[in-house]
Amino acid sequence: MTGPARGESVVFAPVPDPRLTTLSELLCRYSVDVQPGDLVLVEGPALAQPLMVELVKSVTDLGGHPMVRPRLETADALVMERASRSQLEAVTELDRLEVELPTKTLTIWAAENTRYLSSAPAEHLAARSAAMRPLFDRSLERIAAGDMRWCGTCFPCHAAAQDAGMSLADWEDFVFGAGHLTDADPVAFWREQSARQAAIAERLSAVRELRFVAEDTDITVEVGGRTWLNADGHENFPDGEVYTSPVETATRGHVRFSFDAPYNGREVSGVRLWFEDGRVVREEADRGGDYLTQMLDQDEGARRLGEVAFGLNDEIQQASRDTLFDEKIGGTFHLALGAAFPEAGGANRSGLHWDMVCDLRQGGEVYGDGELLVRDGRFV
Amino acid sequence: MSDQRLVRLADVIAGHSLELGEGDLVLIQGPALAEPLLVELTRAVLDRGGVPRLRVTVDGVDAAFLGRASDEQLGWLPPYALSEMEAIDARISVIGAWNTRELNRVDPARIAKRQAAAAPVMERFMERSAAGDLRWCVTAFPCDAFAQDSDMSLEAYERFVYGAGWLHLPDPVAAWRGFATTLEALCERLSGVRTIRVLAEDTDLSVGVAERTWVASKGSHNFPDGEVFTGPLETATAGHIRFSFPGIIGGREVEDIRLRFEGGRVVASEAASGEDYLHRIIALDDGASILGEFAIGTNYAVDRFTKQILFDEKIGGTCHMALGAGYPNTGSTNVSALHWDMVCDLRDGGELQADGEPIYRDGRFLPGFFDGSLDPPG
Repeated sequence: MTGPARGESVVFAPVPDPRLTTLSELLCRYSVDVQPGDLVLVEGPALAQPLMVELVKSVTDLGGHPMVRPRLETADALVMERASRSQLEAVTELDRLEVELPTKTLTIWAAENTRYLSSAPAEHLAARSAAMRPLFDRSLERIAAGDMRWCGTCFPCHAAAQDAGMSLADWEDFVFGAGHLTDADPVAFWREQSARQAAIAERLSAVRELRFVAEDTDITVEVGGRTWLNADGHENFPDGEVYTSPVETATRGHVRFSFDAPYNGREVSGVRLWFEDGRVVREEADRGGDYLTQMLDQDEGARRLGEVAFGLNDEIQQASRDTLFDEKIGGTFHLALGAAFPEAGGANRSGLHWDMVCDLRQGGEVYGDGELLVRDGRFV
Repeated sequence: MSDQRLVRLADVIAGHSLELGEGDLVLIQGPALAEPLLVELTRAVLDRGGVPRLRVTVDGVDAAFLGRASDEQLGWLPPYALSEMEAIDARISVIGAWNTRELNRVDPARIAKRQAAAAPVMERFMERSAAGDLRWCVTAFPCDAFAQDSDMSLEAYERFVYGAGWLHLPDPVAAWRGFATTLEALCERLSGVRTIRVLAEDTDLSVGVAERTWVASKGSHNFPDGEVFTGPLETATAGHIRFSFPGIIGGREVEDIRLRFEGGRVVASEAASGEDYLHRIIALDDGASILGEFAIGTNYAVDRFTKQILFDEKIGGTCHMALGAGYPNTGSTNVSALHWDMVCDLRDGGELQADGEPIYRDGRFLPGFFDGSLDPPG
């Protein structure tokens, strides 16, 4: 027998949170639909190890080949801080293979510290992102051509919980709740959500011009001829939005984003943008204004919109300083500066894709070709 | 602030082991628990103008895959594997583990199947290495699992690991350069020998090495380092040997291995534990019962057995030999999927003879045969 000194320490085999197992199964079976023979890239920070292990199990069970690429943010930060221009601009065969070969890619978002890049000079980040742009474009192309399916998801971690102002346990509930992972049949929920969103996309596809009116906001984007896409858990998870890429040269007016818009670990808040002929002609921010300007100056496409979208996940009600969730808040719209979606008909190219969210729930209105579509965040 | 010994380790590998330069694409691979070293290596590669790319592994992924993959999945060579091997200029492999027994319940045949699938990559690796196109180095990160296998606390194990690399010295690179010269002189001295005879407890083994090349292991491919090795004649090994330390392979230990050789081949093998496993390994393929390597450990800062072959085969005062694949640069022609090093302690009464003349006794070369000092500096 075991003596009393050790009697309390019952040893359990490590059992993952059952919601992680559900998430993994949902990602592999529903989101990217892993098939036998698929090469499935699983990428994300090493701290997402519990989800990576679950994904390896799901992918392998489905006959796929897992290709797991954990990253260390300390090493990434060091490169961004110390590398020379030529080192930052090096695009190697190893980088290309990660983009060219997988037939499915699962990106896991999590961080040890969401500010891990904050000591890196902004021009370094911009140089790296500009150098990687052809590969980023290539990824989008492969997705649009149906050669690769991609889904980005969230692994609940302390750093994101802290940014959201929550304990880890509450953050886990929030994240898994937003994905309806504790529903008896999460896939059934997402199929219903998908149908609801499809109806909204259908309605929007008849619209040529969208005008958003809210506090400090009166902005018009043109979407005629563009395709509205239904974000129903296939490319982001959790999900819940409909989106398209606006006409590149038509956006006009001004917008004030309601929520913090962190990017690459930088705190940016109170962003206001003024557009003329599709281009940002003036930008301001309560915090991070210089960084905003640097990012917008990184290439020609960074000052134009790549996305306009409506958040439709009613399970998400509060901002958490995490774009994945904020942009899905039911009753919001968001715009992204930079890269557009070719499958939506977007032509804008950039190393940037920066989502910023505006709340419509308190008095916000959206007009489609002059007709009221949304009031207080709800489609009328 | 980083542990200065880690900083020096990274600098020695980037500077001395790999001599990295401007634009070199360097793949750094290792477990996430070795993060402090992986980060220092990234820094050292950047400092020398190279382009680092990290390939990190996390706990549990291998076990999850190996435990459930089909034969088809195990035997599949990923399409990126060969292209990556072609693209890199250098590779640094950091060993370390959460648990050295993680794969104990995985059928070795499944691991072997995956390894067999990667054979073309290994082959290309060896080709590029032999041609001098690909530089590589294996090193270790001191971790709890290795410390535990060595019956040491983590702190004591760190002292052992960094001590073995002489990283307490202010300029370890200079010390390793000096040591390299000494080892090359030793190889020169051994190069005329036709037959090495190993005499120790329950051991009397003759190994033919005529016309084979002795290679100085001086901190290029392994770090820490310190051995001289050659590839024995494939048909000449004769006699018997009892290995002082357990043979470790695939996370398993085989204790008290005794082998009898005739005409270069193992003709009888026994072990106190794991004997079945030993028999299976020796029968793995045609080359697995033939020696591919004979070597003498020359790092006297490595003074104990720790169950990590990277260190064990360097213990000053030991010799080791490997069943299976030989290194072509020694002249060895033995081919096998196996390369299993086994270590024999010579520090307490062991002797080596060269063509009948004693050249080494009680773990030291005899003056007259070799007068250079193999003592660790500092």
